[in-house]
Amino acid sequence: MSLLGKRLTRALLSSSILCFLAGFAGAAEITSQIVQIKIGAILASNQGDEFDSRLAPLEKQLKLMKYRSYRLLKEESQKVQRKGNATFDIPGGRSLVVTPQESGTKQLALRVHLQQGGKPLIDTTVRLNSGGNFLLGGPPHEGGALVISISATAQ
Amino acid sequence: MIKRCEDIRDRIGAWMDGELSRSGAEEVRVHLESCQACCEERRQLEKLQASLEAVLVAGPSNVSFERFWPGVEQRINRKRVWHEDFFGRVRDLLTPPQLAWLVPAVIILVLTGVFSFESFFPGSRLAVQRNNFAAVDSIDAFGRNVAVLRENETKTTIIWLYQNQEGEDESTGEKTDASPSF
Repeated sequence: MSLLGKRLTRALLSSSILCFLAGFAGAAEITSQIVQIKIGAILASNQGDEFDSRLAPLEKQLKLMKYRSYRLLKEESQKVQRKGNATFDIPGGRSLVVTPQESGTKQLALRVHLQQGGKPLIDTTVRLNSGGNFLLGGPPHEGGALVISISATAQ
Repeated sequence: MIKRCEDIRDRIGAWMDGELSRSGAEEVRVHLESCQACCEERRQLEKLQASLEAVLVAGPSNVSFERFWPGVEQRINRKRVWHEDFFGRVRDLLTPPQLAWLVPAVIILVLTGVFSFESFFPGSRLAVQRNNFAAVDSIDAFGRNVAVLRENETKTTIIWLYQNQEGEDESTGEKTDASPSF
């Protein structure tokens, strides 16, 4: 192999090793204690055909629910320690408490508690990958249904 | 015995060229000492080899290289411009034998890219699409009906809390226009 070939091979191998190390470093970072919780409260209804452009990243997920209109009512993000509580006020006098639980390197477990006027509506524990989200919906609101997108990212 | 002779004859050439292992060479040598037919085969091969050598040694002396030398000398002395040099090296690098390094390198780079994508771009849509499935460990809807939908295409998990059978939420008295709505 020519000198240039050898140098290119070395460069490629070095960059591959660096990429792997960076990936592992990223994975290790996920075990840190801070979790960013992001919620979006969405009104899904059959009144009108509006689709809020701010919901574009969630369009495919929301369209599973067969409503005609989707409007973002509120979006909020909080950083919380593991085992700490992130409390979000949800339209309709509701509140959502999200508590990151113990988890593995890339997965997060979230305890999600939704209540309304002091009465619990649902209490669930969900495991999801860092950066992933899920939808919690159903409570009636302004002639439609309230859908809450909850995502968590380990930092 | 015939089969053994066939096997030995297949290896005589390699034995003469010194390409056999120690035990293999010894096996051929011992057989040749005891087998006339194989020994004759060996002699034929030796004769053929001697003839070939004679031709190859004598051949080049009949060729006149004088007319090639000026061209060779000219090519050696000609100063190559940088881009010829560069493209020559690249061409050398991309010819089949040297190309072998490229295959594992590309595989490694692709795998690295796939596995580290999420580490570098944790919030990206691609990373979310790949990993978005959530698993519900426990759920308590305090007496209400609840459904969990997992959709494969978008890797979406939806937890849906149904309204009461009367169609009225007990806390707010609000009515909803559709449920379930999947």
